[in-house]
Amino acid sequence: MRGRSIAARRLGFLAAALAIAALPMVLTGNYWQTNLTICAINVLLALGLDFILGYAGQLNLGQSAFYGLGAYVSVLLVMKWGVPFWVAFAGGVMFSGCAGMILALFAVRLRGHYLAIASLGFAVITYQILLNWISLTQGPLGIYAIPPPPAIALPGLPVIDFHNPTALFYLVAGFTLLVYFLLDQIVRSPIGETLTAIREDDVSAASLGINAAAWKTFAFGIGAAVGGAAGCFYGSFVGTLVPDAFFITESFTILSMVIVGGMGTLTGPVCGAILLTLLPELLREIGDLRLVVYGAALTLVVLFMPGGLVQAARAVRAKLGDLRGSTR
Amino acid sequence: MRKPAIFTLPVIGVIACAVAGPALAQDKTIKIGALLPISGPGAYFGAQDKQGVELALEQLNKAGVNGYKFTIQYEDSACAPLPATQAAKRLIEQFKPDVVIGEECSDATLAIMPTMAQAKIPLLNAGSSSIKITDPGNPWTFRIMPNELMQGVDIATNAYNKLNARTAVLLNENTNAGIGNAKVFNDTFTKLGGKILAEIGFGRDINDFTAIATRVAGLGKIDVIPTYTLEGQGLKITQALAQAGVTKGGGGGSIQLGTIWLPFGFEQKAGQTSIGYIRIVQFDPTDQRDIVRNFVTAFKEKYKADPTHLHAHAYDQIMLIADVVKRGAKDAESIRDGLAATKAFSGVTGSVEFDKTNQNIKMDTIHYMETKPDLSWNALKWN
Amino acid sequence: MATIVAQQAINGIVLGSLYVLVALGLTLIYGVLVQINFAHADFVTLGAFSAYFFMHALGGSYLASIGVALLVGATLGWLVNVAIFAPLQRKGSELLPLIATIGVSVMLQNAMLAWFGPVPYAFETPYSARVFRVAGTFFTLQSIIIIVVSTVTIALLYAFMKLTFLGKALRAVSQDRETAGLMGINPNRLIMLTFVLASALAGMGGAMLAPVLVLTPFAGASVIVKAFAIVIIGGFGNVEGTILAGLLVGLIESFTTQYLDPGLIDIVVFGLLLLMLALRPTGLVSEKREENV
Repeated sequence: MRGRSIAARRLGFLAAALAIAALPMVLTGNYWQTNLTICAINVLLALGLDFILGYAGQLNLGQSAFYGLGAYVSVLLVMKWGVPFWVAFAGGVMFSGCAGMILALFAVRLRGHYLAIASLGFAVITYQILLNWISLTQGPLGIYAIPPPPAIALPGLPVIDFHNPTALFYLVAGFTLLVYFLLDQIVRSPIGETLTAIREDDVSAASLGINAAAWKTFAFGIGAAVGGAAGCFYGSFVGTLVPDAFFITESFTILSMVIVGGMGTLTGPVCGAILLTLLPELLREIGDLRLVVYGAALTLVVLFMPGGLVQAARAVRAKLGDLRGSTR
Repeated sequence: MRKPAIFTLPVIGVIACAVAGPALAQDKTIKIGALLPISGPGAYFGAQDKQGVELALEQLNKAGVNGYKFTIQYEDSACAPLPATQAAKRLIEQFKPDVVIGEECSDATLAIMPTMAQAKIPLLNAGSSSIKITDPGNPWTFRIMPNELMQGVDIATNAYNKLNARTAVLLNENTNAGIGNAKVFNDTFTKLGGKILAEIGFGRDINDFTAIATRVAGLGKIDVIPTYTLEGQGLKITQALAQAGVTKGGGGGSIQLGTIWLPFGFEQKAGQTSIGYIRIVQFDPTDQRDIVRNFVTAFKEKYKADPTHLHAHAYDQIMLIADVVKRGAKDAESIRDGLAATKAFSGVTGSVEFDKTNQNIKMDTIHYMETKPDLSWNALKWN
Repeated sequence: MATIVAQQAINGIVLGSLYVLVALGLTLIYGVLVQINFAHADFVTLGAFSAYFFMHALGGSYLASIGVALLVGATLGWLVNVAIFAPLQRKGSELLPLIATIGVSVMLQNAMLAWFGPVPYAFETPYSARVFRVAGTFFTLQSIIIIVVSTVTIALLYAFMKLTFLGKALRAVSQDRETAGLMGINPNRLIMLTFVLASALAGMGGAMLAPVLVLTPFAGASVIVKAFAIVIIGGFGNVEGTILAGLLVGLIESFTTQYLDPGLIDIVVFGLLLLMLALRPTGLVSEKREENV
């Protein structure tokens, strides 16, 4: 919350960084490293969506499109035109960001459900283009043997080889932490208040001199760029790229993570993403019913605790505070 | 004192056997991992594969092979690269198999191959047709099913020569396997002198084929219509083509050509519209060889239904592994070597001999069936 | 040449009328509640499955199974309204109900997957085999049934909306809920009625779509996204517009398949959608609505 002191927040970041560093040593083995990396990617996606949805108040059902565009643009740059990985990464991120701003063109004129459908339509079109433009994207034939990011050789240190899943996890998680930090800064700045004003009532916001159109475009651009970054990591992580990974149902999954975690906060998407990524893995024994649980979680959260896990945590903390207070 | 002594030895012997018995009978096991689509659009592959596998294991584990019993662990690879990769990693991590069978869909197979190679576990595939799986030469991947090149060249050549076909329209799903197969047919048929009037690809989400059938009907005289798609869409296409009066089943003259993706029992679902359909099956239930008759009988007894090529393929995969074990293999490395050395394995789908890219080159796994007016099959002895 | 055009026009209208049935439900709900039920798609699928099991497990006739599907749809609509829309209405959030229904949709689809399995069901009716050939075109008895049932249903709905008291009340509530309430109309009951009606349409649509579609738990989902496009192109809450747009989308589908490529259908339809949203968000046939679009 805003009230927390700077020192407390800095400690929080440090703790998070340490936790990330320690995780692969606690959860060992190829299988867990894979899951942790998927978690990190999902956290990125959820953060991006939450920025648009929770902070700027725009119902964006098209996050899967930015995910896919980031993945395809970066992978094609590397595989078809031999562009170095990090340049391709930047390319993918920027392309997604621009796509987000194009969707924002609709957002500035439409509200609520219209925007939801428009963003869904955007996602459908993007998916169909990725699927059907076979000469460019290979479409359903897929792109295989995508290499991980090139090894980094810093002077004096051993070579960091990203074939090693732990190294790859640190890279993605580290990037995610950085994005979280940056978003946190944005949200705490006056920009955050502007976005909140737009979210609450953009007609009134205009009367305060806020250029809602510009800020919505900004929000979409950032949220889409973050989603695109997740896509860039996806390609080199999985090694195989097919359009089906970016079907519109992905948008709903990411939405679930944001809502269940708690939209309008930054910790919410993180918790929601981690929970909903790991839960199906732990529930694998239940088979197809695990996805039923997913859906049920989303519905129940919306019905009874729309603020998600974050709201639940606050309620618990408040209760504990009450208890403490009442004993005095 | 003497009497007890005489009896003591046998008693000690019996006790010794009773103690050591379980230790000896504690079988050595071969661990088989199965990466099959249990959820998703290809889930009917997984369900049927599992049945074939279970039948084989039941038969083998009665007596074991060379003192080995077989255990299996299934993981859901969902016919898609990401779940397949995760499932593969989990399987290797937790079960440590000596050999893995899977996947069905080419995309998923291509995704898990690097993982298997890195873990040095042989992968035995019987369902994916993409040439990319064996062509570059992957020492840890084996395929008993004929690839798209083998199937496509064969069927195109037969269409031209045995059916006198000169014009064709290609219908295929937009996947690796669909596009790959269509391309091979196109290349072969055109080279022989035939003409492709149209090639229409469609996504797995397309439902209504009336419009496509109408378009086909407007193309003039078509001799053959090679169709590469899964059962759900395949059924619709066949019905729509008949409704449009294009195919024999609808009063027209075109013959639909199909491949192994359509299970046995397709005709019963399609009805009269499937008359005249000619397709490649990798399992001929009318085959008179003992091994096939025994398989069909055992399958019917266990499952009260007729086996399809999916059941047969899965069965053969397990039997081939058993054969390799019989020849002396006992772990991942030796199973790999044993598979590579396979020269004369006889399965219910046909024979297996791997070439240097670990592709089965025996063509007797390709059988041609024509659907008769009573919906039963006429085995065309083209191979 | 002319016969191909005529045939594709027939194909388009048949498909289009099915889309209209599904989209009408969405548009009715939106008109009255200004909400979207994402699980509408799964009502379509469940309607299809109930028809299937009624025919194959209970031996019922196809036409009766359409009625069964209608009832199933109606029940589901009632349930979703009671469980989700009514409670959330008090909270007054614009988007939460939509998100809740996304959750319901995921639940339903995967529950169906668990119950019915992933193997596609072949929904055969005796009517799809009966083919008529007239002047170079062909159509099946099934498509005639589809057109007849859809037309009758739409006509009845139209009559209901324009001529009966309930129908007019519905329109009143969609125009201005407060005033309607002041005039003695119970909006909550009306909303319930709308839901039941709309979902019944969805269920019925499912029963008629099932022979056309590949019947899996995801069958409805394949139609719903187009239904959304139709509702927007026609104008949210606008019955005439939805009918027009539905037929248009059906025709787009068949003609795109004929002259371009089946894979481009979605791009053309959604391209049109985005175009409409950019230029004329209130839809093709817009009533004079004070709509905060």
